[in-house]
Amino acid sequence: MKSFEYLAPIPAFEYAVPRTLTELFETLEGHGRELQVLAGGTDLTIALKERTSTPRTVVDLGRLRKELGGIEVVDGILRIGALATFSQVESSPFVARYANALRQAAANVGTLQIRSMATLGGNLATASPAADSAPPLIALGATVTLLSRTGTRTLPVQGVFTGPKRNGLRPGEIISSIEIPADGEVRSAWTRAAVRNENALSTVSAAVACTISDGRFGPSRVALGAVAPTPILADRASAAMTGSEATPDEAGRVAALAAEDASPISDIRASASYRKHLVSVLTRRLILQVLSEAMAT
Amino acid sequence: MKVKFRLNGETRTDEMEPNRTLCDYLHDEAGATSVKKGCDTGECGACTVLLDDMPVTSCLVLAPQIDGREVVTAEGLGSKSAPHPVQQEFVEKDAVQCGYCIPGMIVTLSWIYEHAPGASDAEIRRLMSGNLCRCTGYLQQVEAVKAAMKGT
Repeated sequence: MKSFEYLAPIPAFEYAVPRTLTELFETLEGHGRELQVLAGGTDLTIALKERTSTPRTVVDLGRLRKELGGIEVVDGILRIGALATFSQVESSPFVARYANALRQAAANVGTLQIRSMATLGGNLATASPAADSAPPLIALGATVTLLSRTGTRTLPVQGVFTGPKRNGLRPGEIISSIEIPADGEVRSAWTRAAVRNENALSTVSAAVACTISDGRFGPSRVALGAVAPTPILADRASAAMTGSEATPDEAGRVAALAAEDASPISDIRASASYRKHLVSVLTRRLILQVLSEAMAT
Repeated sequence: MKVKFRLNGETRTDEMEPNRTLCDYLHDEAGATSVKKGCDTGECGACTVLLDDMPVTSCLVLAPQIDGREVVTAEGLGSKSAPHPVQQEFVEKDAVQCGYCIPGMIVTLSWIYEHAPGASDAEIRRLMSGNLCRCTGYLQQVEAVKAAMKGT
C-alpha cells in the first residue's frame, strides 16, 4: 500500500505559520483533531505521505523557535525548549553536565539529518513506545510544561504518554519545554539494543539515574522504552536500587527486577521473552557503567 | 504560499504548495537536480541539503518550511572549475560508482569537514550513517573526507 500511495501527491491542506504565541493559540482554537502541529516534521511528513495523518490544517511552529527553543539552566533547573533539536541537545554543555543519559540518547536518535530536524518536544508528542528521549527523561525525573491559551500545566514525562502514539495533550495545548533538575551529583546513563547501531528503532532502550555516596545508591530511577504500551518507570527496580549497596551484585538484582517491571509484546523486532532478557542485560550494564564512573572519580 | 529564501547564496521568492516536499521543489522547480529522491522517507540521504547549515533530508521538509531560511545543495558547494575540497578528493580517491547517492553524501561530508575536522574514522562513519551507498563500501568516501580535512 505504502509504495503506491507514495506516487500520489500528499493531499492538500491549509498551512498556518503563527508568528507569536498569541497567534498560535488563536490558530489552535477550534480546530480539534483536524489540526496537526508541525515541529521538526520527521514523523509528521512521513505520516502525511502514508495517509496516517490527514489534517485539514498544519500549524508550523518554525517561526516560534525563540519562544519555544533554547537550552538553559536557571535556578537549578535545566530547561530545554520543546523545539530544541536532537543535534542541539547532543551538543549542549548543560545537557552533558546534568543529563548524560539524555545526551547519549540524543546522539543515537536516527541519523545526523534526522537529529538536525527532529525536536525533543516532537519526540514526546508523537508518543511512540520506543521514543528514545523518554527513558532518560523519566529516569532523570523530568517534567513537561504544557501551554495553552488559558495557562500552563505541568506533567511528569510519563503523563504525556497515554498509549501507543497517543499523547495526553488537550486540544489547544502544546509542549513548550522540558524541565530536568540540574543536580551535578546525579549520574545517569542510557543504552539500547537495536537491529543495527545507526538509524534503527530501539528494540529495547533503558536509562538509569542515581546518586552514589558512602558506598550506597541514593534516590535512583530505572526507566525503560519499547517494553510496554508507553515508556515506563521500572517501579520495583527503582525502589530496590534506592538505598541499596552500590555493588555489582546489587546491579544484577535490580536488573532482574527491571525485567519483571517490563510487559513487552512480540513483534517484528523481537519476541517478548527476548525483550525481557534484554531489559535485564541493559539495566545491569548501565548500573555497572555508573558504578565504574563513580569509582574513577 | 509565497516563500522567500536563499538558495546557494541567491535570494529567491517562489510560490510553494505546502503539500509538496523541499526535495521535489528543489529538483523539479528550482533546477537543483543534484537533489535526488531515493526512499522518500528520510532513510537513504540521497536528498540531503544544508538547511541553515545543518544537513537535512529534504524529502521530510515541507517546501514552505524554508521561508526566511538558507538552503545549500551540492551545486552551491563548488563548481567544476572550483570544486569543494571534498568534491576534489572524491575525484582523487575514486569515491563514485553509480553516482546517485553522491550529491547528498557530499553535502553531509562537507558539513563534517567544516564542523568535525578532527573526527575519527568511527565518528565520521557515525555522522555519515544517514547516507546509504549500495555500490561502494564507504571506504573511499571516508578516505576522501579525511584527505580533504588534512588538506592533502
